[in-house]
Amino acid sequence: MTIAIEARNVVFSFGTTPALRGASLAVDSGEVLAIMGPSGSGKSTLLHCLAGILVPDSGEILFDGVRVDSMTETQRSSLRRDRFGFVFQFGQLVPELTAAENVALPLMLSGTRRSEALRRAYGWFERLGLEGMEQRRSGELSGGQAQRVALARGLVAGPEVLFADEPTGSLDSLTGEQVMDLLVDAAREQGTTVIVVTHEPRVAAYAEREVLVRDGRVNAPDRIAS
Amino acid sequence: MIGFGLRLAVAGGREALTRLIIISAAVAVGAGLLLATFAGVNAVNAQLTRYASLYPEPSAGGGGGEPLWWDLREDYFHGKQILRVDVAATGADSPTPIGIPSTPGPGEYYAAPALQRLLAATPHDQLGDRYPGRDLGTIGDAALTSPDSLLLIAGGTPDQVAKLPHAVRLTSIGDNTPALPETTVDLIMSVIVAGLLFPVLIFIGTATRLSAARREQRFAAMRLVGATPRQISVIAAIEAAAAALAGTALGFVLFFAFRGSLAAVPFTGDRFFTSDMSLGVLNVLVVVLGVPTGAAVAAAVSLNRVRVSPLGVTRRVTPRPPRWYRLLPLALGIAELMFFLVGPMPETSDGQTAVFLPGLLLVMTGLLLAGPLLTMVGARLMVRRSTRPTTLIAARRLADNPKAGFRAISGIMLALFITSVATGVITTIVANRGPAPIGSTDAATVATYAHDGPPSVPGTVLASLNSVPGVRSTTVLRANPVKYADAAVVACTDIPAAYGRCAAGATVAVVPDNLIPYRQSADPRRVWPASSVSLDALPRLPVESIVVLTDGSATTIERTRTILELTYPTYFVAPNVPGDFESEFANTLRGWQQLANVTIIASLALAGCSLAVSVVGGLGGRPPRGHRGTGRGLDLLRRRQRGRQSPVGVGRHMDPERHRDLPAAGRRIPSAVRQPDRPADSLQPARHRRQDRRNGPVRRPVATDRRHRGHQAAGNAAAGSPDRTALYERRVRSAVRPRRRGRGRSRPLRPRRRERRVAPGQRLQPRHAGARQHPAL
Repeated sequence: MTIAIEARNVVFSFGTTPALRGASLAVDSGEVLAIMGPSGSGKSTLLHCLAGILVPDSGEILFDGVRVDSMTETQRSSLRRDRFGFVFQFGQLVPELTAAENVALPLMLSGTRRSEALRRAYGWFERLGLEGMEQRRSGELSGGQAQRVALARGLVAGPEVLFADEPTGSLDSLTGEQVMDLLVDAAREQGTTVIVVTHEPRVAAYAEREVLVRDGRVNAPDRIAS
Repeated sequence: MIGFGLRLAVAGGREALTRLIIISAAVAVGAGLLLATFAGVNAVNAQLTRYASLYPEPSAGGGGGEPLWWDLREDYFHGKQILRVDVAATGADSPTPIGIPSTPGPGEYYAAPALQRLLAATPHDQLGDRYPGRDLGTIGDAALTSPDSLLLIAGGTPDQVAKLPHAVRLTSIGDNTPALPETTVDLIMSVIVAGLLFPVLIFIGTATRLSAARREQRFAAMRLVGATPRQISVIAAIEAAAAALAGTALGFVLFFAFRGSLAAVPFTGDRFFTSDMSLGVLNVLVVVLGVPTGAAVAAAVSLNRVRVSPLGVTRRVTPRPPRWYRLLPLALGIAELMFFLVGPMPETSDGQTAVFLPGLLLVMTGLLLAGPLLTMVGARLMVRRSTRPTTLIAARRLADNPKAGFRAISGIMLALFITSVATGVITTIVANRGPAPIGSTDAATVATYAHDGPPSVPGTVLASLNSVPGVRSTTVLRANPVKYADAAVVACTDIPAAYGRCAAGATVAVVPDNLIPYRQSADPRRVWPASSVSLDALPRLPVESIVVLTDGSATTIERTRTILELTYPTYFVAPNVPGDFESEFANTLRGWQQLANVTIIASLALAGCSLAVSVVGGLGGRPPRGHRGTGRGLDLLRRRQRGRQSPVGVGRHMDPERHRDLPAAGRRIPSAVRQPDRPADSLQPARHRRQDRRNGPVRRPVATDRRHRGHQAAGNAAAGSPDRTALYERRVRSAVRPRRRGRGRSRPLRPRRRERRVAPGQRLQPRHAGARQHPAL
């Protein structure tokens, strides 16, 4: 197994409030990892640092052996667009776009022609049981449907790592299970590494490995890169 | 990315379309006003240029060729100015005046349409006799300043016209127009620009920032999936520019639709020709390119103020509260104005302008600078006195960022200040220098000035003047041989009592040439100084003027004027009533006043639109979650979104026909579902339950919530999916069902504390021996 993404002694503070105090974590390629922890423990901040959304105050983030934390904003945007996928608690769909256009958005942002991007997007609707929803806007979708659309958007570009932050947090447990089934199945099918932040044991049960974040540190890492 | 931005703006669903329409409409109003402003300035310029062309400079080069003799004089009728141009061609190659097909010969004339109508409607002895000859036709618009212009071009012989005062020789027409009086144009420009343009630009800027909060949320979502900040800026700029472009196009439609109506408003005292309300290429380019570009830049600048990260939008800078020194310019300006108002005020107009203009500019600047500080102070006072949560929140938000709050009204404040000052000044001038009051001697005095100083006035003229009904006296004044004194002398016995009397012992008095001192009124108590001219020498002096006192009626005045004009046809200044000049001046000022009033009204309308757009834009985003958490009603937080947001969801557009298969997401969960122990009839509306308690159960078709759920179930079944709503309800019931009976939630967590009476000075003792006691006790 090769390490897909890794955090080394990451420190991050919101103003004077520390969120991460030397968190370290390594995730293998194709692995499904659950990051757990109580509210305020820093698990979401760790995910955001890993994904290049936040830049740590100190420490290193490495993806494919390259320092993410020293990239420019544009480089990190490209990374998120081309090699990462995201599913957050609220779908974060663009309300002005149809569901199909939302799924095709990362492809269009990276320069793919609209027709080609939509063709690839339509394929995901069938896979995720969203047939007939392509032309609906986000406001016309149920929570579960919107989250599945967000999942399709996260996977459409064939990302190497999929980041999911409380992906079922806004769903009832039944719908949440369906979304997690789809997420894990689709990711495994593509060989995508999945990092899920959750505080629900039922969601964490989908992961192959769990780590616990407490007080800004990863307390039970199975493996820390040496 | 440009196409994507356009698609977001144009085809982004009903909400995006609504936003586009609102922004476009707002920009259309702004662009329309901008175009009207440009066209109005052009029309004023065209009007002034044509007016100036009536006073041409003499052609250079002396007497070469066959010049045209040209002389312009001003006549009056009922307080209106009539411009009379006498022309004489010296040969076949003499230039032809603009607006007529050929130069009229002696005894011929062309008249403006308005003057032709006036001549036809007025008795000849009041107006028509002044212009004897043959009417050749109407003067074209090219020579008129306004559709209401009273212009006459009369022909004469070269000898006749050349002898008229200020006659000029013209070898060409149109290229010797004097330059426009810059101060007038500057005044027009400054009033219009400051009074109207500033609010227009603020309005356009406000409109393009409409629902910026929602756009920023969407941009955050795009950043999450990899959009770069540059891509976001491009999308924002394209969206704003697209709406502004559509609004600009609509603005042109509005402008051309209302151009005729605008031209008919006498902003400067006279109507404009519709064709004068035209737009230059530069004007069109400024609006077509400037408004969309400005909107795009405004969108980009407004995005620069925030940091759109994938996690949301954060403000880059927390605005610092305004400091006290912002009051300094305002205080200085007020102090300067007060000093000169109370203390030594300059006598001359130039001196007063030099003193008051800097003060007014200081106050203007000071108001803009002090505005945020005053807003903050006012908001803090409002915070202290507010008793309602709405007022409290509004005041707190205003106090936190008073600059933003003040920005929305700064344009209207400045416009109102400028136009109010202008209106005040104009009103004062009109009040002081307006026409004489009706019934006064001033308003009844007609005076004419002899151009070439004839030795006497024919007796027939005096007889015909005195025969006009309403004429009370006719006085002939002689030229005063003494310089640096009033222009005329008159025998004391000839002075009508209404104008005063001579000093004791005087036989000849020195008087003004109309018996009324400049900028004063006629007064029977006035005592005129004695003249060194003897009574015998008086008839040998040339005639200076003839003063006719009438009963003040318009008919008598115009008849008198007509006789005097015919007696002295080479007049430079027509026989006039003192109020004629003032009346003309007052008309012009009233035009400016009207312009100021229009500016105020337009500014108020614009400010209202700006505030409305600001409010709509401010409500466009998601209400702060904290507000919802406090139990505040949606109608309080966002009345506009009623029907779009349910108490359990945000911003869902639910179409029952399209969403039969949707689960209950975004809809209110029936209270009986959330509390399964409640009886079944609790699914009925409260109104029905109250009726049932009073009257017993009544059969109704289906309760609202039950029908709602049934509708969903039917929809789900039709779509071939399991009844997920029912499944959901079962799971909710199992989740909240009490595990052990008899230990419901209503049981208090702690045993109720008994009251214990403790006598003064008595120590509170523990209830039982094992209780922990504080070491200090």
